[in-house]
Amino acid sequence: MDHTVVIPPDAQLAPLLRAYDRAVAAKHRQFFIGLAFMAGAFALACIGAEIDPGLFWEKLGNFTSYFNRLAHLDTGAVVLSDPAEWFWGLRRWTRLLGETLLMAYVGTVTGAVLAFCGCFLCSRNLVSSALLRIVIRRIFEICRTVPDIVFAMIFVAAFGLGALPGVMAIAIHTTGALGKLFSEVVENIDMKPVEGIAASGGSWVSQVRFGAVPQVLSNFASYAVLRFEINVRGAAVLGFVGAGGIGEELIVAIRKFFYSDVSAILVMIVVCVMLIDTLSEKLRHRLLAMDERP
Amino acid sequence: MTGHSPLRDAFLANRDRIADQHAALLDPGWRSRMGTIAIFGGGIVLYIASFFLLDMSLSNLIGGFRRLADIVGLMFPPTPETWSRFYLYLGAIGQTLSIAFLGTLLAAVLAVPMGFLAARNVVANRLVHLLARRSLDTIRSVDTLIWALIWINVVGLGPFAGVLAIMCSDFGAFGKLMSEAIETASDKPVEGILSTGGSRFAAIRFGVVPQILPVFASQILYYFESNTRSATIIGIVGAGGIGLHLSELIRVLEWQQAAFVILMVLVTVAAIDQISQRLRGAIIGRRR
Amino acid sequence: MLVIDGMSCVFGQTRAVNNVSLSIPRGAFVGVIGRSGAGKSTLLRALNRLVEPSEGRIHWDNEDVSSLSGRALRDWRRRCAMIFQQFNLVGRLDVLTNVLTGRLAHTPGWRSNLKLWSADDRAIAMAALDQLDIANLAPQRADNLSGGQQQRVAICRALVQEPDIILADEPVASLDPRNARIVMDALQRINRHYGMTVLCNLHSLDLAHAYCDRLVGMAAGRVVFDDVPAALTEAAARELYGMEADEVLDAAPTGATQPDGVPAGAASNASAM
Repeated sequence: MDHTVVIPPDAQLAPLLRAYDRAVAAKHRQFFIGLAFMAGAFALACIGAEIDPGLFWEKLGNFTSYFNRLAHLDTGAVVLSDPAEWFWGLRRWTRLLGETLLMAYVGTVTGAVLAFCGCFLCSRNLVSSALLRIVIRRIFEICRTVPDIVFAMIFVAAFGLGALPGVMAIAIHTTGALGKLFSEVVENIDMKPVEGIAASGGSWVSQVRFGAVPQVLSNFASYAVLRFEINVRGAAVLGFVGAGGIGEELIVAIRKFFYSDVSAILVMIVVCVMLIDTLSEKLRHRLLAMDERP
Repeated sequence: MTGHSPLRDAFLANRDRIADQHAALLDPGWRSRMGTIAIFGGGIVLYIASFFLLDMSLSNLIGGFRRLADIVGLMFPPTPETWSRFYLYLGAIGQTLSIAFLGTLLAAVLAVPMGFLAARNVVANRLVHLLARRSLDTIRSVDTLIWALIWINVVGLGPFAGVLAIMCSDFGAFGKLMSEAIETASDKPVEGILSTGGSRFAAIRFGVVPQILPVFASQILYYFESNTRSATIIGIVGAGGIGLHLSELIRVLEWQQAAFVILMVLVTVAAIDQISQRLRGAIIGRRR
Repeated sequence: MLVIDGMSCVFGQTRAVNNVSLSIPRGAFVGVIGRSGAGKSTLLRALNRLVEPSEGRIHWDNEDVSSLSGRALRDWRRRCAMIFQQFNLVGRLDVLTNVLTGRLAHTPGWRSNLKLWSADDRAIAMAALDQLDIANLAPQRADNLSGGQQQRVAICRALVQEPDIILADEPVASLDPRNARIVMDALQRINRHYGMTVLCNLHSLDLAHAYCDRLVGMAAGRVVFDDVPAALTEAAARELYGMEADEVLDAAPTGATQPDGVPAGAASNASAM
């Protein structure tokens, strides 16, 4: 078969290829500079984090044996052989898991309500006072940058052990996280309805209530549900610092080497989180579908 | 307010006829609102009930706020007290960043093969990708702090356990993201490569990878950002970084130093946010 | 009577409205014409105070409405209802609620925000919809309606405000000719029936000739023509519209054969569909 592409003589081809190589070389140079930078950062980080591959290799056996122990009861039997013994604390753990879910719920609702109130006040298209906007934005930023567990530690010192500091920590973190997302949604709304309400004599609250809220509600709800999902995961570990929920039970089991308890609690947390993930995904799809024109 | 305008009178004049004609439409619609009312009512009842179920009393709340105000008062002015402590905290912040960086990088590297395995359009075998998906979900649903506790049992206290913890929890998230990116990648370039007689591997290498690379790179940066936050807290359980100092300071009620450390964390996170935002902009912008 | 006295609206370097003085008696149907960017829209928005006039005064029956604020301003906006080119309805709310937002200035905030409208308000809103033959659409979401239907909903919202004057900003510019007629007929009927003052921006000379009993021509923010429609010669129109003249005047012949507006009865027939 004949070549359909006629290969031109070298004199003609070489400059073309050279031009291409030159153009690509610049990209390659950039890539290698980036790679060198990454390698440097990697080496620096290895020193910083006291990485010891030898240790890792040596201890890798521990990892498998750890999971092996997680899979066995104190009696030496495999956990699945005696589920009743494995989940001996089912009642108590279920209660604690329920407590964790409630903490996440109350924290999410409180945070979502606060974020809802604040987000309209820090949106450029609804509020003209730059001072008010900046103040609210800064508050949101601090609320979401400080990790919830740090808030929880401080609140435990103030409110004592229990669910209260955990709920407050979740609420504050949620306010910051949702406040940012909410205000982004509000800044992207169509302003024509708001103007329509203003033109017929509606007050600022009415403009927000009838012009803005109907446009953002389903988006807000979807974000809040997603946040609840994240908060359930977060609430499960708040007990590590004494802020209620199942975390306290888990950390005690880990510290005291009650291996089968650890695996039982972990299984419960994982199943619960996965269940909520699935439900929340369905719910969010439905919420966002409401937004589309039927 | 105006009393009676001619317009109002005109509208209300044939009120009865309109009420008759559109009775169904004029109904206040309690029934149609029933669902909304039930959901909201249920939500509010559960909210209030939670306060009792969780043992959160008003007196507790008020007393706590008084103490909280005291604590906030004690935080001012934030100070590290001595320079040597300042350098100690600075080093710990460096360690935190190292943990976040290494954890993210390792997770990303490990997630690449897993992502392809879990993508429906790459691995045709339903069982394989379902299994891959489920195990990714399981890994993802365990919090970083729990992973840290597990790794501490394996490699001992220290930042190494932290790196492995971040790696594990991100591996799940990255794998999922990666597989989703692959699944939503356009089929057209793949068809193009296959139509020239390329192999299945070549189709992935030249058809899929160039599409997902920028998306994935920007996701890695985003996770590095959020891992900086996570890495600040894994020290609480003993897995290295600034969290160890922070939890210790709070435990011994050294509020001024604790406030200083929190400020350091805020500044660091803000700086990393800025840098990664710029980089992400550059990556997405350049490739498009 | 609406009296505009030396009003200007300045945005940065541009004077969108430049020293406009007009007086509009009650019950008039005044058309504001001119090419796009002549300042027609800004003039109307300034009257409703959606845009702050930079200079000059606006009086309604000897009351200075250009200096109002807060509650008094909202009451003025209630009295000068606005109709927009893009309807400015709340797409995700149903039609009846959209009309009821015209009652906001009549309703205490806590009631309206919980959507606890009084029976009177609901009856008024329904009657307004009924008058424009769209009562059957009341429970539908506003963004499911056609453009013509949405504009009629917007007119209902304006009517239930119980206004003294209706400001219509290009009310038919996004509608097809048939719907444009329906909407303009409705405005005319309101004007004739209730003696409502209507100030209407129109791009189409054809419609302006057919419906208005006075035309105000604007160019570069100034009033350059103010007379009965018959006085607008083709030469004057060409000057007013400049580059856009051919596009506007092409449609003129149909306008010329049109007698003075469509009788009110014909309007309801047309809108019954």
